[in-house]
Amino acid sequence: MTALLELRDKLKYFYSKNEVFILPVIKFLLAFVTLLVINGQMGYMLKVNNVAVVLIAALMCSFLPTFCIILFAALFTLLHMYALALEIAVVGVVVYLLMFLLFFRFAPKDSLVVVLTPLLCFLKVPYIMPVVMGLLGTPASAVSVCCGIVVYYLLLAVTANAATINTMNAGDATAKLRLVVDALMDNKAMLVMVVAFALTVVVVYLIRRMSVDYSWTIAMVAGAILNLVVLLVGDLIYETNISLVGAILGNLLALAVAKVIEFFRFCVDYSRAEKVQFEDDEYYYYVKAVPKMTVAAPTKTVKRINTQRRPSGRYDAPAGGRSVTIGRRQGEPQDDYEELF
Amino acid sequence: MLSEERVILMTKMASYEEHEGKKYMKIGRYFRDDYIAVQILKSIFCATLAFALIFAIFIFYDFEVFMQDIYKMDLVEFATRVLTYYGITVVVYGAGSYGVCAYRYNRAKKSLKLYYQNLKKLNALYDEG
Repeated sequence: MTALLELRDKLKYFYSKNEVFILPVIKFLLAFVTLLVINGQMGYMLKVNNVAVVLIAALMCSFLPTFCIILFAALFTLLHMYALALEIAVVGVVVYLLMFLLFFRFAPKDSLVVVLTPLLCFLKVPYIMPVVMGLLGTPASAVSVCCGIVVYYLLLAVTANAATINTMNAGDATAKLRLVVDALMDNKAMLVMVVAFALTVVVVYLIRRMSVDYSWTIAMVAGAILNLVVLLVGDLIYETNISLVGAILGNLLALAVAKVIEFFRFCVDYSRAEKVQFEDDEYYYYVKAVPKMTVAAPTKTVKRINTQRRPSGRYDAPAGGRSVTIGRRQGEPQDDYEELF
Repeated sequence: MLSEERVILMTKMASYEEHEGKKYMKIGRYFRDDYIAVQILKSIFCATLAFALIFAIFIFYDFEVFMQDIYKMDLVEFATRVLTYYGITVVVYGAGSYGVCAYRYNRAKKSLKLYYQNLKKLNALYDEG
């Protein structure tokens, strides 16, 4: 455990030291993968379906604000929809505008979730998102995750009906629009996913905020089980054909990812938790203090046996060599208290 | 003389001003009612635009049927129904916005109160030094 804690501290230190370089690289990779997946799934506009274009867009995203990844992703999907049919692009614009006008005006920071959720859906591991957002976000994150699910099913509706749309004439404008709108509105699988993910986010959030030991672990396990149960019940009621094995494996993966996040964000030692009670003029306080698991940073001790020989004229140094000893001292676990309540 | 306590406090405050404080100070410039009123006006505008978009899709969804029926239907009743739905949309979204904005304002005020307390503390530290 000490080695892991040391590694975590080293990673944190490395990140804080090189944040200027790491953040653009992460943004570049995220944008690059997102745009590649969009092109791979849709790819109707040949001018956009080009690695060079994706590379340029991803490079631009790396130094622009994070919100630009969402803009580029939306732009790419709209261009592909436009290449398929203008009416489909209109539906896409309306869906994106509705999300922007009604929700992201209030929670602009959560908008990255709308990119990550469809991306994970395409990678067949969407179950990570509700558990992680329940741990890191707020109940409002449920709306962001649901918006991401809607975007995924919109893209799926477009790709599933692309062949039919291509056979239609230019005069069948309303029929094309109807096809996509119906595919989106009558999608029971989307409804089940939206309900399951929204409930999971809220339940994970509520449990992890509770003042019980191992609240984060309980929250993630309960969230994963709830997610699975709602998906199965939804499957039974609406016959959504959700892969049971995929859902179980996906939720197990979600638990693993959540555990890693817990290690970085909420690593506490419950065995050393203390409950104290005190009062002032106005209140009684019942405080539970749980110490964080930390290790002191290893210190390097440089011991100079002989001073370095300098050019003559500056100061006189004794003749002889130079010997440097580097000692490494592992620290004892420190008590850095995390107040829970 | 360099005071470690003063430097730590100033660093914390500078970090606050750079990050969450920026957002809260913007909110803190308004009186509560003014802030909420401005935000609700924005919400009404957004809800109107959203409703117009959904209505446009609704009309375009069955455009041929709509054009055939437009001469037969009771236009006043249709307009009343549309306006009722519009009213419900705006009222529900406005009420939601009111809740969010009131919560945000209270949180911003609490946070700024703490910031001003730190400013006073800093001032006192300067007076001591």
